Amino acid sequence: MTTIDVKQVLARTVSPTYPDLVTRPTGKAVRHGIVDELDDAAAVEDVALIDFGTVRVLDISCADEIVARLLRENNARYFVLCGLTEAHRYSIEQVLERHQLAVVGRDRDGRVQVLGTVTDTVRRAFGLLADRGRAAPHEIAAHLGVPQDAALETIQEMVTLRIAHPVDDLVAIPAS
Amino acid sequence: MTQVVEVPSSFDDRTFDQFARGIASWDEKLLFDAHATQWASPFGLVGLLTAGQHATERAQQRPLLTIPADRDVAHYWAKAGFFRYAGDWFELHGKVPRVAASETSDVLLGVTPVRGTDDVHSVVETIQERAAAILGDLGLEATATMGFAMALSEACQNIVEHAGTSGWVAVQTYHWRRRLGRKVVVIAVADAGVGFRHSLAATQASRFGDRWSDATALESALFHGASRFRDPGRGQGLAGITRYANRWGGKVSMRSGTARIAIVPEWDDDAPLTDGVPAFPGAQVLIIIPAQDAE
Repeated sequence: MTTIDVKQVLARTVSPTYPDLVTRPTGKAVRHGIVDELDDAAAVEDVALIDFGTVRVLDISCADEIVARLLRENNARYFVLCGLTEAHRYSIEQVLERHQLAVVGRDRDGRVQVLGTVTDTVRRAFGLLADRGRAAPHEIAAHLGVPQDAALETIQEMVTLRIAHPVDDLVAIPAS
Repeated sequence: MTQVVEVPSSFDDRTFDQFARGIASWDEKLLFDAHATQWASPFGLVGLLTAGQHATERAQQRPLLTIPADRDVAHYWAKAGFFRYAGDWFELHGKVPRVAASETSDVLLGVTPVRGTDDVHSVVETIQERAAAILGDLGLEATATMGFAMALSEACQNIVEHAGTSGWVAVQTYHWRRRLGRKVVVIAVADAGVGFRHSLAATQASRFGDRWSDATALESALFHGASRFRDPGRGQGLAGITRYANRWGGKVSMRSGTARIAIVPEWDDDAPLTDGVPAFPGAQVLIIIPAQDAE
């Protein structure tokens, strides 16, 4: 798993004195910095933990450049956004909705949630994984109250969205 | 021949049309007469600087400005940072108070130029440092304060990304006793750039044909997230501002060219769309967030 501190990337790529992730050019520079770090990481199929824990303000333009573009242009990788505040989530949710994307988010208290555009069924299945970390398909089926075939379709949808991945015979949230 | 433009006695978003109507031509020598002005909101102050900037850039000479005769009013303008920049865009007449601009409890951000992304960073940083004051005055949660910085950032970025020239921003709190009975925080952003209609014409005008105007351009930007860029990620800033304002019962008003559009909360009686207002260059944005608890 690769962990990237966004504030450090901001300091390295734009300015060591900027405390906030605002403006589109800043977002673009930070995204390029993150991609450079990911390129240096070993496996493409890796989980990347993008840490916003020391970031104060994240505006929508920056969220679009950093989060939405990162997801759109690196769809072979699992991303988890961590250290989020409710205000960060506000900006991130808006850009994810615009692009019909989803991502795993973890707030500063460690609560895991799915951000962006997902169906109610996917959200409920994700809730089970968030509680347990991982689950078997038959447990997800039982949780959703659907046949296993339908649960497998939901699992596939979650994997396609990169908000869950198969681990042996189970399904898990990345970086859980 | 010098054309005299009267600055309204109470100069804010409600009297801005009266001010704009007074400018018959930008090609004549202009004299902005504020000697009888008793009060100006941040919207009025950044609007006046925008007028001075546009007149100077267009005529290659600074227009005249008679400063308020009332000493307290002139002092307030100085405190709000107006005179830090006014001399660049006006030939000032009257005694400029020797008062340093200061970020007092009500002036959260004095009149500040927005010329590039560095200025946006600086503006957001200043507001964040004064976040406690916003929280204390308005009873807003920390989330609302963070969102406030986001809205401010997006409003300023519109200048950098779309205006084609520099602009101005100011942020202040007020106690609106008569109008609302509550405190409010006001963001005023103005530029004398190309305006929404021109900015969006290349990507949007063909969809509207003969209906393309300042009003349809504002509607496209505010309600449909239109942008001059074809990137699908563009055009989200204004949507973010309106969502934020809706969430906290606030108002957003945007004026460009000859039209004004507004997201109107229940406490305000502004029209959602006003077409045919007196022409004024560029774009002017007003965001008002009220305190959460009535006093």
